[in-house]
Amino acid sequence: MFYVVPVIVDIVISFTDMGRSLAVHEFTTKQYVKVFSGDRRLPQVIGLTFIYVLGTLAFFNVTFGLVLALLTTSIPKTSAGFFRGVWLLPRMSPSVLYIFLWIWVINPSEFGLLNQILENVFGVAEPVDLMTNAPIALIIFSNGFIGASMGMIIFTSAIRSIPEHLFHAARVDGAGGLAVVRHITLPALRWPISFITIYQTLSLTVSFEYILLLTKGGPFFDTTVYALYIYRRAFENGQYAYGAALALFLIVIGIVLAMLGWKFFDMKKLLQEPRIEVN
Amino acid sequence: MNAALDSPQTRISWDRLAVRAKWMRRAKLGAIYGFLIAVSVPVLLPFFWMASVAFSSKTGTVDTIILWRSMAVLVPFVLACWICSTIGTTARKMFFGYAAITVVAVIAFVVFVLPDLHLGNFIFMTEKDFSNTVRERRSGVKLGDFAGGINFPSVWSAAANSLYLAGGQTLIVCTVASLAGYYLSRFKFAGRAAMLRTLLVLHAFPVLTLIVPLFLILNFIGLLDQLLGVMLVLVGFELPFAIFIMKGFFDAVPWEIEMSAMTDGASRRQAFVRIVLPQVSNGLIAIGVFSFIRGWEEYIFVFTFLIDNVNWTMSLYMFFVRDDIMGIDFGLVSAVGVFYLAPSLVLYAVAQKYLMQMTIGGVKG
Repeated sequence: MFYVVPVIVDIVISFTDMGRSLAVHEFTTKQYVKVFSGDRRLPQVIGLTFIYVLGTLAFFNVTFGLVLALLTTSIPKTSAGFFRGVWLLPRMSPSVLYIFLWIWVINPSEFGLLNQILENVFGVAEPVDLMTNAPIALIIFSNGFIGASMGMIIFTSAIRSIPEHLFHAARVDGAGGLAVVRHITLPALRWPISFITIYQTLSLTVSFEYILLLTKGGPFFDTTVYALYIYRRAFENGQYAYGAALALFLIVIGIVLAMLGWKFFDMKKLLQEPRIEVN
Repeated sequence: MNAALDSPQTRISWDRLAVRAKWMRRAKLGAIYGFLIAVSVPVLLPFFWMASVAFSSKTGTVDTIILWRSMAVLVPFVLACWICSTIGTTARKMFFGYAAITVVAVIAFVVFVLPDLHLGNFIFMTEKDFSNTVRERRSGVKLGDFAGGINFPSVWSAAANSLYLAGGQTLIVCTVASLAGYYLSRFKFAGRAAMLRTLLVLHAFPVLTLIVPLFLILNFIGLLDQLLGVMLVLVGFELPFAIFIMKGFFDAVPWEIEMSAMTDGASRRQAFVRIVLPQVSNGLIAIGVFSFIRGWEEYIFVFTFLIDNVNWTMSLYMFFVRDDIMGIDFGLVSAVGVFYLAPSLVLYAVAQKYLMQMTIGGVKG
């Protein structure tokens, strides 16, 4: 209900010319004509979305999550719990607050925490302004800090479920720490890694909350990813119909990715028949 | 063969090897700890910074001196505790070690940090018109009625709205998810497999793409600008995940327990309420906390769907406070931040155990 009705409404609206007044005058396909040939900003937005998603995935959500999982499983449990707790903190703190912390830390004046550290510890004279100079790196970092925890949790539980005797056997055969990781742990993590990659690609592609709060898509359109572009078109410019048409493409991409994600579940276990029936 | 082993060139000094291996191990562990601490500092430091500014800023500007001073107390304290826990051999020794460290840390805290702490920035909790008060205080001019600050609702009304949104959502999600999870786990019915598959896709479904049509639907049915509308939307998106987790927990409850309850004369409903539900209380707590935190932090939907400031939730309150007096009083904005963060943090700290269980025991996190 909550999903099907909005999708249908979305399709219907995308064939109208609904504007700020929410009134429908005619049914046309001109929104789609605009998507394919009329919008000159769209290629840039799509390119940026690719950079953003791939960058965040490659640096944080998969790689760094994996590093965190590997390291925290090789130290005593209490300290491991502490570090995992630290990395879950950004995910658990309210998004508005988390982003405000970012804005304050990178404040381009000498009051920003980052600039104070740079000035006092590293002796950088000029305050750094990340917001205008490196906005894409900024959104990748801020999202990555949150995204890394997801991979960390999934990978940690996957590593924990590897039978202990495999590690002992490898050790007896003379494997060092890195060789164990390479030949025992990583092969066991193949499915979790694929799953996280697909799942995070999906959630990064469609989410824009943190970017909206951090940079508002600016400066100009420099950090406007596709999902945020829809939002800005619909709610800033009042072009609801055009937003709906753009959203439809994202919905299709989302469903395809979600279906891909299916493959990585343990479907047999999931669909296991209930054992006993009593009515 | 034996002769070769005994000859002086090939004899291995096992003691030396053992010592070396021990040191290698320690060095590796130290390197891992060093790396983890180094990457965790950027995550933690801003939070500490905000807290220290909230409790110490007097002039509205930002000082990091209190942050560094409290760090100078906190870091040695944590390090000392850690060393104490590694070298302490008996519980008694460790207890005395902790006690001594804590006493030293408290004294250092009282001497170096406490004199600068005050609660003046939490003025927003009692005074509704704090925006103008703060402006007057900073500029030293009496501004009268037209000071230009936004007319904020009371922070308590924003908190109550957030509580209503998050609490109502949690209640609905827990009830529906436990019933649906139980049914999916125990009963065979036509379309069960299809339903599970659909739930899986829905769970991964990009809900934010639906924001445009949802806006219009809420507008048509008259729930736009009402907390109830946002709550329903959130519940709808939270449910597939919650049902999934609950099904996983119900699957783990052995059928025999339920069977024996029914043999003893319990009806199916009694067996569910009295026997099975207590078994999955961990799962209930987990999804409850999870959806509460989600509701408490929700920003995009409330920002888009709520217009009237009577309906402001904490996230909007925080957003507009920061918008309004950011350049004027940094301390106050941080104080609002601390106020907003505290419930999430407490809940998270209390329920961390259960949340971890959910991601490990359930199908996914």
